[in-house]
Amino acid sequence: MAKSGAEWNAPPKFPATHYVDSRVYTDDAIFEEEKEKLFRPAWIIACHESEMPAPYDYRLFTHPAGVPLIVIRGDDAKVRAFYNICPHRGNTILYDPSGNAKRMTCIFHQWSFDCRGSCVDISRAEQGYQERFRKEDAAMREVKCEVAYGGFAWVNLTDDCPGLREFIGGAMDILEPYMQQPLEVFHYHKARVRTNFKLWHDTNSEFYHDFLHYFNRITGMMQPGYFDRKYTGFPNGHATVGSMQIQYDKYDGSKERAVGWPGLARGGWYMVDVFPGMTYNLRTSVLRIDTAIPLGPNEVIIEFRGLGLKSDSEAERRQRVFDHNMIWGPFGRNLHEDLLGVHGQGRALRQGTDSRWILQGREENSTIHDEVGMRHYYAEWSRRMGRPAYDPYRDGKPGPVRQVA
Amino acid sequence: MKSEQRQAIEELVYRSCLALDAKDFKAFLDLCDAGFRYTISTFSPEIRREMVWLDHDRKGMETLFTNLPRHNSDHSPLTRHATVYTVDMNGKQAEVVAALQVFRTQLDGGASELFAVGRFHDTVNLESLKLSRRIVRLETRLLGYGYHIPF
Repeated sequence: MAKSGAEWNAPPKFPATHYVDSRVYTDDAIFEEEKEKLFRPAWIIACHESEMPAPYDYRLFTHPAGVPLIVIRGDDAKVRAFYNICPHRGNTILYDPSGNAKRMTCIFHQWSFDCRGSCVDISRAEQGYQERFRKEDAAMREVKCEVAYGGFAWVNLTDDCPGLREFIGGAMDILEPYMQQPLEVFHYHKARVRTNFKLWHDTNSEFYHDFLHYFNRITGMMQPGYFDRKYTGFPNGHATVGSMQIQYDKYDGSKERAVGWPGLARGGWYMVDVFPGMTYNLRTSVLRIDTAIPLGPNEVIIEFRGLGLKSDSEAERRQRVFDHNMIWGPFGRNLHEDLLGVHGQGRALRQGTDSRWILQGREENSTIHDEVGMRHYYAEWSRRMGRPAYDPYRDGKPGPVRQVA
Repeated sequence: MKSEQRQAIEELVYRSCLALDAKDFKAFLDLCDAGFRYTISTFSPEIRREMVWLDHDRKGMETLFTNLPRHNSDHSPLTRHATVYTVDMNGKQAEVVAALQVFRTQLDGGASELFAVGRFHDTVNLESLKLSRRIVRLETRLLGYGYHIPF
């Protein structure tokens, strides 16, 4: 029997930790608060070291908190990150998304900076500034940057943030044995979707939606071991998903992934969801990395990377690319379905649709269709936002933006 | 090259668009010879690498089409607009370059939007007058939630 308006809006018959007020996905003020409280203090993947193999190679990255960054390999091979903002009049310094820049020169007034963020030239400095302002006063703003966990360049905007290892804790232990060899990015694309960034992370945090994917049903859900996969939560909102043996040959046009991955059992598949919007997805022969960059409460850009081993032969790489594209490429079987799924959520949950509650109530001993992965995420969300996700208006309205350590 | 021959080659390219627009995959494959290979490729300025996004032989394309009903897909129709730029004879083959624009039309309301631009780099078997190779070279890399049917 369908529900009336009052019944529709009544809280679900679950513990309050097992559902979320849908306005956390649509409210502008909550979104602005999330940028400050979730993203700004977090370590975020900006790019991979293989995207900057040589000295002075750089990548641009728009941080989810909104800050444009340059990640550049120095003449000492160290990777550093800076605001891509000229300290003179706030112009963009580098425009191309990647390149090689021995000097980073702002096109506006030709102020120039080296790979360590020092200003090396101010055009007509003496005539204009005399002794009042020197190039030493005009350095770039550096942000914390560490290369780790498979060679990714992680950045943090907060000067006094805890270290990356402390932020990640033990969440990456499940993957670290498989990331000992140098990796290389072979695939990169973005998807811009009208949905909330958390909905994408939710999709990466629950496997109940395998019902969406024919490929996953036939190669995973219908195979032995599927319901043994378990979620494990870690401090700071991270979570992992245990492995099984995927039967790739059960799908027409697919076959057992022969290339595999060093040390990983045949058909193996591990995932690590990193708070607040990144996912490591090591699926038999390919490592996929998702990085969510929210643009608003109902719009997100997701960066997708596919990686293989730097030591791959041409044939091995070709096979990894094929395996990647089969399900995860822009024309792949699964990615399109996942993106359609969160696109649909974005349509249904936008402000004014009167969708009120998002259920996360499945309990199956933390196994693959348990929704504990999402519950774990929102427990951390609630801690950082200072109020529960099931009641984000506890104090009447979202509170003032404030930093959470 | 006779104008009739060029016209026939151009029509082959256009018929391939019409067949895929109509989701008539049998008609599309009928335009491809036994050794047909299909690739979607693009260059990423972000990672400064060539990328292959889809690569199948004829059998792989058949399987891709056969599997489509088993998947959840966007049902918005695509309209492929090709313009043949050049046709160069190469023995028993012709190398064809065509501009490609792909439009997507929303089912609800019928709004059309540009979905992708790129080029077809086709090889035509002149004896069978069928496609033996198609490389879809995309400029567009931001495809929203993507699509299951190739261009």
